[in-house]
Amino acid sequence: MQVEPLLPQAAPKPPLVPRPLSRAVDTFFYDNKIVRDFGIATVVWGIIGMLVGVLAAFQLARPEANLGTQFTTFGRIRPLHTNAVIFAFVGNGIFTGVYYSLQRLCKTRMFSDVLSKLHFWGWQLIIVSAVITLPMGLTTSKEYAELEWPIDIAITLVWVVFGWNMFGTIARRRERHLYVGIWFYIATFLTVAVLHIVNSAALPVSLFKSYSAYAGVQDALVQWWYGHNAVAFFLTTPYLGLMYYFLPKAAERPVYSYRLSIIHFWSLIFIYIWAGPHHLLYTSLPDWAQSLGVAFSIMLIAPSWGGMINGLLTLRGAWDKVREEPVLKFFVVAVTAYGMATFEGPMLSLKNVNAIAHFTDWIVAHVHVGALGWNGFLTFGMLYWLWPRLYRTPLHSKKLATTHFWLGTLGILFYAIPMYWAGFTQGLMWKQFNAEGMLQYPNFLETVLQIVPMYYLRGIGGVLYLSGVFLMMFNLYKTAKAGSLLANEKAQAPALLPAAEDPHAEGGHWHRWIERRPFQLAVGATIAILIGGAIEMIPTFLVKSNVPTIASVKPYTSLELQGRDLYIKEGCSNCHTQMVRPFRSETERYGEYSKAGEFVYDRPFLWGSKRTGPDLHRVGAKYPHSWHYNHMLDPTSMSPGSIMPAYPWLFDQDIDYSTLPSKISVLRQLGTPYPAGYEQQAVADARRQAASIVSDLKKEDIEVKSEKEIVALIAYLQRLGTDIKVKPEQAAAQ
Amino acid sequence: MLTSMKFRFPAALTIAALLLNSLQAVAQTPEAAAPAKVAGMSSQQLLFWVLISLLIFLLLVLLLSFVGIAVQMRPQLRKVYELPTVRHSWSGRVLGLLVGDATLVKGEVRDELLDHDYDGIHEFDNDLPPWWKYSFYATIIFAVTYVSYYHVAQAGQLQGAEYETEMRQAALLVSPDADDPNKLTTYQPLATPADLSEGKSLFASNCAACHGQNGEGKVGPNLTDEYWLHGGEVNHVYKTVKFGVTSKGMVAWKGKLSGKQILQVSSYILSLRGTKPAGAKEPQGEKETK
Repeated sequence: MQVEPLLPQAAPKPPLVPRPLSRAVDTFFYDNKIVRDFGIATVVWGIIGMLVGVLAAFQLARPEANLGTQFTTFGRIRPLHTNAVIFAFVGNGIFTGVYYSLQRLCKTRMFSDVLSKLHFWGWQLIIVSAVITLPMGLTTSKEYAELEWPIDIAITLVWVVFGWNMFGTIARRRERHLYVGIWFYIATFLTVAVLHIVNSAALPVSLFKSYSAYAGVQDALVQWWYGHNAVAFFLTTPYLGLMYYFLPKAAERPVYSYRLSIIHFWSLIFIYIWAGPHHLLYTSLPDWAQSLGVAFSIMLIAPSWGGMINGLLTLRGAWDKVREEPVLKFFVVAVTAYGMATFEGPMLSLKNVNAIAHFTDWIVAHVHVGALGWNGFLTFGMLYWLWPRLYRTPLHSKKLATTHFWLGTLGILFYAIPMYWAGFTQGLMWKQFNAEGMLQYPNFLETVLQIVPMYYLRGIGGVLYLSGVFLMMFNLYKTAKAGSLLANEKAQAPALLPAAEDPHAEGGHWHRWIERRPFQLAVGATIAILIGGAIEMIPTFLVKSNVPTIASVKPYTSLELQGRDLYIKEGCSNCHTQMVRPFRSETERYGEYSKAGEFVYDRPFLWGSKRTGPDLHRVGAKYPHSWHYNHMLDPTSMSPGSIMPAYPWLFDQDIDYSTLPSKISVLRQLGTPYPAGYEQQAVADARRQAASIVSDLKKEDIEVKSEKEIVALIAYLQRLGTDIKVKPEQAAAQ
Repeated sequence: MLTSMKFRFPAALTIAALLLNSLQAVAQTPEAAAPAKVAGMSSQQLLFWVLISLLIFLLLVLLLSFVGIAVQMRPQLRKVYELPTVRHSWSGRVLGLLVGDATLVKGEVRDELLDHDYDGIHEFDNDLPPWWKYSFYATIIFAVTYVSYYHVAQAGQLQGAEYETEMRQAALLVSPDADDPNKLTTYQPLATPADLSEGKSLFASNCAACHGQNGEGKVGPNLTDEYWLHGGEVNHVYKTVKFGVTSKGMVAWKGKLSGKQILQVSSYILSLRGTKPAGAKEPQGEKETK
């Protein structure tokens, strides 16, 4: 163990810019305990989230890793992983950094200790409720917004507490101007609030079931506006704010360029919002919206890189420190990973690249470069920097931290390279035609089995990365043991003079005007982030030609609706898309490409974002009922070698008809044209359809009771994508 | 500096010479090929290509001499560039790039501190790096061009049109198949061991899931008995495999298996007759005796 002099108090540096000390000086205390608490939560949830991630990774390599229970099957585990790492690990990471830096940048204690505590425990409770409800299959299926409506409301409330506490602190600041880090915090707070409220809009059916306020194409647009900007405003802007505080602090160097930070802040938040549709290229989303997504994604390169440049150039003159200081090592890789991911993103938004990469593991690789590299490494660096300061003692072991750094870097490489390989391989295999004009790999499974070895390697990468986090936990624990928590850190600063007497209250660079006015800054940021979303969403909702109706498309029957809700509950859309893209390779494989009008009764839309298994939009009437029955009981019986888990519980559990009448009435309120009074007939109608499926199965010697869940699921699967094949006269006759 | 330049200059010349050689080679190919395919290329076309290659050659020579002059005259150009009136003009910046002024790409790094102090964090106010700034402009131009190309000028194909083109091109490549399910083919069952073993492996990977590893029948019917739902003659089996029986869940294999493969697997199926595998499903359909 190395012993070195303590940094914060022991080495006071003369300020680079001398400041006149003519005013009365206030003494106050920074709340370090809340920072420590959020820091511990970050580490604990990080380990849990990544453990679940490693489990999910190996489930794709070996179906046995699904552990044979419904609570641990991939479809339910994968949302748990994403929620845990995004909202629990990164979320707590954000709050750790914000609570530490905001107090110091505003020269005041947090506005209210009560709000801080409410925020902390409220957030942890939300995560615990996610850990309980997601494995139970209580999910909306909308990616990164899977939590059901009561939890959504709780998130809103806790978010308000956070905002109240943050703006209260800003209002009480002893610093006239807001630092660039705080601009990013404010933009984060406001945008996440808007995204969360708009995307979570739904009508409840019961305590844990709701239907999205939007259907089909519109739901898809809202969801990916949200999904994309969750990446932007939960994983990117708050972390840029943290970078602007912790990187110059750790490097002890001035920020490279103030004016660069102004330009890249405003351009980033304005342009980011528009790019959501790049998640929906070659889908049934109107072409104009797709093109806007492409155009704005390309324009996003420079604003994103502005952050990277300002970070890396701030390190000029401190590169010798990078060699010795693990904190800076983490920061350098984090900022570089950010640069790589934000260059790759726009490239993936080009339609010709997207045609190959979308729905494959390439995207998985891309997001993990961002998540493991940018978010993970910045968090680790920040925690290693904070702990000695919170506990007033040097870090237990720099060597261990450096080992963590190398393990993590190796983990990222082991994760990303196989996934790029797998994505590229599979994307090309899907599209390959032979000389006879037929698909070279007509059997989807063949393209999966080709990349299973990559799934193993990726799992190993995850284990390496996670083992580094365990080292960090040990290192931080030992550091905390060696020191004692400085719960309330004494600080001094002069009070702000009234604006009339303050020479700093006017003039300066033109942007200083808004830096003195948090309210105007917040309004400006809100306007910047509302424009893009509004221009893309309003026409898609109001202009009818954007979703051409198809007369033969009818609402789901009550049994199909039950089956669809089971599809959602089991998380089928985590591996199966319902979106046949307009490519010859896809129409040959799956059938007619998907049309916008086919999804008008889909609440929520289930297009999916990844094809671990084949697309299911045209699976209806493709196989006999018995095929699905056998396949769900044991996928390998129908597809030898399949990596899909078995779903035996669907054969034991009864369909829950108790909420069916209210499902019908909620859907009617949202606009699905069920006839009046259908609520009363819905259950009987479902039982009738179930009985007919059961009798079909009996013809093939399969005995199943009509109230079992599998029957409803078969009803839904057999309906999928078939409406379009109904001739108009048939539809009229019905 | 000078020595390195001297070193580089001949290298550049060699490369240029090589380039020219290859260019001439390219230029000569059509000439050489001309007698062979007189019908393929008219004398007008020939002339066109010769002139084009000549033009490219001249442009290349011009470019290389220009670069050569610029490199040789760098000290003089630098003096011009350093004149205060030149430096900040638009053409002056082009000159600056020519004489290798790195600040034009990286920006001027003055490192002057602003009077900002946030918890000990200070800020410089260095220029936006020009390479970054101009990349930003370039992406904006790209974005505007992209959207106007597709939606204002409507010059590009959007996904629907793109798909139609793709299918049209594919239709040209693929020979028109007699895709009439009502028409029966007139094949004879294949009997060579090679075909049958190919048929067997096709069966194992595509059919066994529903019909059993040995054709004993599972979800799908038993294929080893004498009873057939859709006909047991090879051309009937071929038709069933090719077009499927969607109402009963039999997949249509056209597009996934080639005609030859379908015949191979059909022949293999017929070779299973009377094998009486374990767990055979009870007969379905009508009895057919050969």
